Amino acid sequence: MNDSYVYIIIALLPLSALMLMVQVNPYHALVIRGILGAVAALVYAVLGAADVALTEALVGTMLAITLSAVAVRSSLVMRLGILEDGLPNVEDESKTEREQDCPFAHLIADLRASANKHHLRLELVPYADPQSLQRALIEKEVHVTCVQRSPHQESESEDVQPYQTTTRVRRLYEILQTELSSPTTRLTYMTAPSGEKH
Amino acid sequence: MNWILIAMVLALLIPIYEVWKDENIWQKMLAFASIASKTSVMILVVSVLRDDWMIGVVGVIILSVGNAGLMLLAHVIKRMNTL
Amino acid sequence: MIDILSYTCIGLGIIFWFWGTFPLIGKRSVLFKLHSLSVADTLGSMSIIFGLLLKIPSEWSLLVLALISLAIWNTVLGYVLAYCSSGGEDER
Repeated sequence: MNDSYVYIIIALLPLSALMLMVQVNPYHALVIRGILGAVAALVYAVLGAADVALTEALVGTMLAITLSAVAVRSSLVMRLGILEDGLPNVEDESKTEREQDCPFAHLIADLRASANKHHLRLELVPYADPQSLQRALIEKEVHVTCVQRSPHQESESEDVQPYQTTTRVRRLYEILQTELSSPTTRLTYMTAPSGEKH
Repeated sequence: MNWILIAMVLALLIPIYEVWKDENIWQKMLAFASIASKTSVMILVVSVLRDDWMIGVVGVIILSVGNAGLMLLAHVIKRMNTL
Repeated sequence: MIDILSYTCIGLGIIFWFWGTFPLIGKRSVLFKLHSLSVADTLGSMSIIFGLLLKIPSEWSLLVLALISLAIWNTVLGYVLAYCSSGGEDER
């Protein structure tokens, strides 16, 4: 048991654990968690605990990674409620010339960029009319809504902000306020239970 | 046979460094695949070195089952990238 | 004689490992790295296990199982990784 290679192999375990600790991207952390599982199985096997090594390899590497992949994928999402008539423009997003002359697709791309910066995934949820969109925001089905402002609202302020983005999550409001660079939208924050605007 | 294991740890440090440095997720997956097969071969070497049948069985099981989890993870990451 | 042969096999396998892993550090594409990794890594691992098999022939069943699963799984894994990584980049 007093061989020098044992110490070298055991030193790999805190090394990979440290790498896992300093990783900020959750998807990259999943991969590093798998590496930590493989190294831990090696260390346990070298130290003579064959059953612990087998459990670590099966549970720690396969089950934990699969479960946390599902958890990360379903929780790190920003649901954006939009009206259905705005949707066809969004699906043409791959064509760049369409994106240039359609400000709404541009706005969606901006929102997606600022969400990706915080490792969030943007999911578009279409609604039929503004009433159901408003109700979905109040009932916490979506986090953010983005609608075109009506003309009489537009006349009282300057013309440069044709879209209205509303969020009910305080943290999302702070993120979007600092990072959303698009000049075409106005950002407001609303508290969900009472529904009054600030 | 100590020098064999020390050389193997050196070979194992290369993909660990790669994972630490590279930002692309597929490069990390490649390094993970390399580390997974290397560690299980190292477990087999240790089992032969100590003449321990039990550790050898564990090494073979990890070698044959651990790769399945890797493929699962690859498909999950592909789904995340396309959505 | 057998001992020298087994050490030669293990040493050759470790050389293959280094040869296959060093391209991982460079700035090449994923598929290039995958090619060198899957070829050299699998050959190196199989060479190491063959060397172990020469050392202890009494555990031949376990080591032959390791050889077979290594050959099959690493080939399949190479295909799956190549498919997933290239498919993910086509979508962008």
